[in-house]
Amino acid sequence: MAKHILALCRQAPYGNALAREGLEAVLAAAAMEQTPELLFLRDGVFQLLGSQEPASIEQKSLLRNLQALPMFGVETIHVCESSLRERGIDAKQLEIPGAEIELVADTGEFIRGFDTVLSF
Amino acid sequence: MKFSLVVYGAPHASQSAATALRFARALLAQGHQLYRVFFYGDGVHNGSALSAPPQDEADTICGWQALQRAHGLDLVVCIAAAQRRGLLSESEARRLEKPAANLADGFELAGLGQLTDATANSDRVVTFG
Amino acid sequence: MTLHIVSKSPFSSNALADCVGTFGDDDALLLIEDGIYALSGDIPESLAAGPVYCLEADAEARGLQIPENIRAIDDAGWVSLCAEHKPIVSWFR
Repeated sequence: MAKHILALCRQAPYGNALAREGLEAVLAAAAMEQTPELLFLRDGVFQLLGSQEPASIEQKSLLRNLQALPMFGVETIHVCESSLRERGIDAKQLEIPGAEIELVADTGEFIRGFDTVLSF
Repeated sequence: MKFSLVVYGAPHASQSAATALRFARALLAQGHQLYRVFFYGDGVHNGSALSAPPQDEADTICGWQALQRAHGLDLVVCIAAAQRRGLLSESEARRLEKPAANLADGFELAGLGQLTDATANSDRVVTFG
Repeated sequence: MTLHIVSKSPFSSNALADCVGTFGDDDALLLIEDGIYALSGDIPESLAAGPVYCLEADAEARGLQIPENIRAIDDAGWVSLCAEHKPIVSWFR
């Protein structure tokens, strides 16, 4: 039976490399048809803001990596509801065309459903 | 039980690489299998042949190499993360026309698919950040 | 049951707070590296439901006493904890 894998994304997008490298790992897994589920938690939710323009800090848009996910069969992106609330973000500000944003209220219960959690 | 470890910490910069090495030794001592250690992010520096810590400090890289020799470990350094941070094998240094190679013996450069494979084939994956 | 591994001080990082936010009734918490500094404050009450472990070597290294309600383990004990729990979540930033 295929293992149930979660990529737990907790980092804001540009301040350190882990957010980008995490998404690269997810895309590599997706390319091997072993796409994990994704949960964006705490500062990780900042990765999903639609208004990112990182060209002026000489970085590539991380949002573009996220937007590639539906092409690899990612239909749902899970987002911690309280993390959004704490940061004053409305779920309507998040948009990944082709994927549905699903808010998770009990992240502990959600995480317990997986065999392996990769923290990024 | 089959374990894989993911290491994000550079040796001698944070404790996490040394912790991962201790954990690896402990799980092997208990008769578990270590399917793969995947070095990602700043963890790629664990594979540097040029690290030269003072003699009275524990040498994390030598520690990995000793464990690799004793148990035939699969020590995989992510190639994309390594190239960004200046860690190259001889063939990569030639291909990218860089003046030197510095991948330590016992480590290999490979793609992120090796992390996916490790996740699929291990009972437990532990991340050391 | 999830094993949460926290390796950063609660006084400088949100790692422990983030972990606590996802903590379930049967989950276990292990404090390692600078995560050990949680022992010098009040362990959040929400964690009292599940067992809290700490790596004895990391506590000793930092000169911290281990309170009675915290279970001290060595590296071998840590491996056993990992074998007994699934999934394992590391909180390191």
